[in-house]
Amino acid sequence: MSETKQSLAEFLFEAALQKRDPAERSAFLDGVCRDDPALRARLDMLLEGHFQGEGFLGKKPLRAAQPLPARPTLKLAVPEEPPDEAIGTHIGRYKLLEKVGEGGCGVVYVAEQTEPVRRRVALKVIKLGMDTKQVVARFEAERQALAMMDHPNIAKVLDAGTTGEGESPIYNLQSPISPGRPYFVMELVRGIKITDYCDQANLSTKARLDLFIKICQAIQHAHQKGIIHRDIKPSNILVTLHDGVPVPKVIDFGIAKATEGRLTDNTVYTQLHQFIGTPAYMSPEQAEMSGLDIDTRSDIYSLGVLLYELLAGSTPFDAKELMSQGIDAMRKTIREKEPMRPSTRLAALGADELTTTAKQRSVETSKLMHQLKGDLDWIVMKCLEKDRARRYDTANGLAMDIQRHLSCEPVLARPPAGFMSFKRRCDVTSSALPPRQRLSFCWRSASR
Amino acid sequence: MSEVTHILDRVQQGDPKAAEELLPLVYEELRKLAAARMANEPPGQTLQATALVHEAWLRLTGNAAQEWNSRGHFFAAAAEAMRRILVDRARKKARQRHGGQLERVDLEHVTIATEDSDDTVLAIHEAIEKLARESAQQAEIVKLRYFAGLEHAEIADALGISEATVRRHWTYARSWLYAELKSSLTR
Repeated sequence: MSETKQSLAEFLFEAALQKRDPAERSAFLDGVCRDDPALRARLDMLLEGHFQGEGFLGKKPLRAAQPLPARPTLKLAVPEEPPDEAIGTHIGRYKLLEKVGEGGCGVVYVAEQTEPVRRRVALKVIKLGMDTKQVVARFEAERQALAMMDHPNIAKVLDAGTTGEGESPIYNLQSPISPGRPYFVMELVRGIKITDYCDQANLSTKARLDLFIKICQAIQHAHQKGIIHRDIKPSNILVTLHDGVPVPKVIDFGIAKATEGRLTDNTVYTQLHQFIGTPAYMSPEQAEMSGLDIDTRSDIYSLGVLLYELLAGSTPFDAKELMSQGIDAMRKTIREKEPMRPSTRLAALGADELTTTAKQRSVETSKLMHQLKGDLDWIVMKCLEKDRARRYDTANGLAMDIQRHLSCEPVLARPPAGFMSFKRRCDVTSSALPPRQRLSFCWRSASR
Repeated sequence: MSEVTHILDRVQQGDPKAAEELLPLVYEELRKLAAARMANEPPGQTLQATALVHEAWLRLTGNAAQEWNSRGHFFAAAAEAMRRILVDRARKKARQRHGGQLERVDLEHVTIATEDSDDTVLAIHEAIEKLARESAQQAEIVKLRYFAGLEHAEIADALGISEATVRRHWTYARSWLYAELKSSLTR
C-alpha cells in the first residue's frame, strides 16, 4: 500500500470507530468507499480485527508477580523532540544555572531567583515527553506532599507553577523549554549525603544518634501530615552546615504517598523504582509487592536500615550481594532472611575494615563493639522486624527510645523479660536526676 | 563500571554509534538468561519476558546507570534482542518439525511472544516487519508489547510519547496485524 493510502485507511478506520452504531458505521463506509471497493474490503478486515476481542493480541501479557521494567524515557522514534538545552534560560522568574539531578519523572536544576529576593534555589521540572496524565499527577502529588510540610529538617517548597504560564513574553521567546510542564521550587540544600558526612567528619556514635533523632522527627512530621516517604535512604538525606552546626535535611519525596486525599500513583512503578535504585533500603512488605497497603511502618524499617548503616558502616544486607542475586532471590532475602545484629556484623568484619569503621566513629574498635551491643542492637533490630506490627509504631517512638538510651534509661526495644521491673526503675530515675547530668554520666563512664 | 553502563553513558552524551553497540551485549546476556531459565524450568513453562529483561538489566549494569534515558535505550535494545532470540528459536524448531513449513496461525489465540507457539511468533514477526515499512513507530510499539511484554504506559515512557498516542497506535496496529495475517492465510 502506498503511503497516502495507508494513512487514509488509518484515518477512516478511526473515523469509523467513532460511529458507535453499526448501521451508521456501515453507511459511513458505504459513502466514503463508494469508488474504492478494495479500500472498503481493507477497512472491513481492519474493523473485524478490532472487534475480534481478547483472542488476537487482546489479552494483557501474562505476568508472574514480577516487577515491571522501569519506565524509561527514550527519544527513539520521535525525532521532532528538541534536546533539553535549558541552562541559562528561564522558567518563570528562575534562571537555570546547573543541572544537579535526575529522577523518575523530573529533572532538578540549581536556579537563581532575582525577584523579590535574590537567592539560589532548587527547581524540579517534569521531564520532556513525560507529561502523561499519570506522570503529571504523580509530580503534582510530590509537590503537594512537600508543600504540606513545615519542618526545619525537611526541604521547603517555595513556589510552584507551569512552564510558559504567567511569564514575561521576553522569557518565552528565549526559552527552549516547552510550555505546559509543571515545576516546583524548593530551598536549595547544599550538602552531602548523611553517611558520607558522618564518615568524613569522623562523627562519634553519639553525634550520629543526635543527627538521626532529628531525621526521625522530620519523618514523624511527614507522617503526621499524612505522607509516607517510601524511599528513605542516605542520598535523600543531605547534611548541610548552619554556622558550623550540621543540619540534616530530608529531600526528594519523589515517590511519597499521601495516606489520604487524591493521589494517583502506580504502586508497582514506585516499588520498582526502589528495586532499581536501592533494594537495600526496601521493607519486606514493599519487596513482597502483593498490593499490601504500605503504611508508615515501612518508613520505620528504612530508618532502621539507615541507623544500622550509621552505626555499623554497612546496610543489613549488602547492596552488591543483593543485586547479584537476581530479582526473585533479592525479594526473598529481604522478606525472609534475618539480618545480623549490628554488633555481630562488626565482629564479622576483617581487621582493616573494622579499624576504618571505628576510626570513622572516633573510637577504639573494642569500645565501638561495646557501644552497639545491647540497647542499640535491640533498637535497630526492632526497626527491622519482618512483621511490621512488631516495629516501632511511630518515628517518634524510635527517636524516644534512642533518647532513652542516650540518657541511660531502659529502652523499650529490650526483650520483654524483666521489662516491667526496668520500667519501674525508669520512673524513679527520671524524676531523680536532671537530663544533662545523666547524659554526661553515661557517656563518660567507662562501664558503657 | 560495566561495559554496558559505559555505553549507556556515551548514549547519554549523544554518541550516535553507541546505541548500536548495546544490542549485541544485551542480546548475549538475554540469550544466556533465557537458556538458563529454560534449562531449569519444567517443560511447558513460559519465560517471563519482563523478568528476563529486568534481570539482564541488573546483571549488565549492576544498577549503576541511574538515568532514565539510559534505561529507555536499554529496554528498546532488550525488546529487539528478545525478538531475535525468540524468532531464531522458533525458526529452528519449525525447521526441525516440518521442514520449514509454517502451520496456520490460530488468530483466536495470540497473546505474547513468550507464550505463543513458534509458528505464531514467526508469523507475527513477519507481519511486524511489513508494518515497519508503513509506520516505524507503530511497529516499535508492537515490538515492545509483543516481545518485551511492556504495558501501554511503559511503552509511552520508553518512546517519549503520551499514553493516549500509544493506545491509538496500538488499536490500529493490532487491527492491521489481524488484517495482514488473515489475508496472508487466504493468499
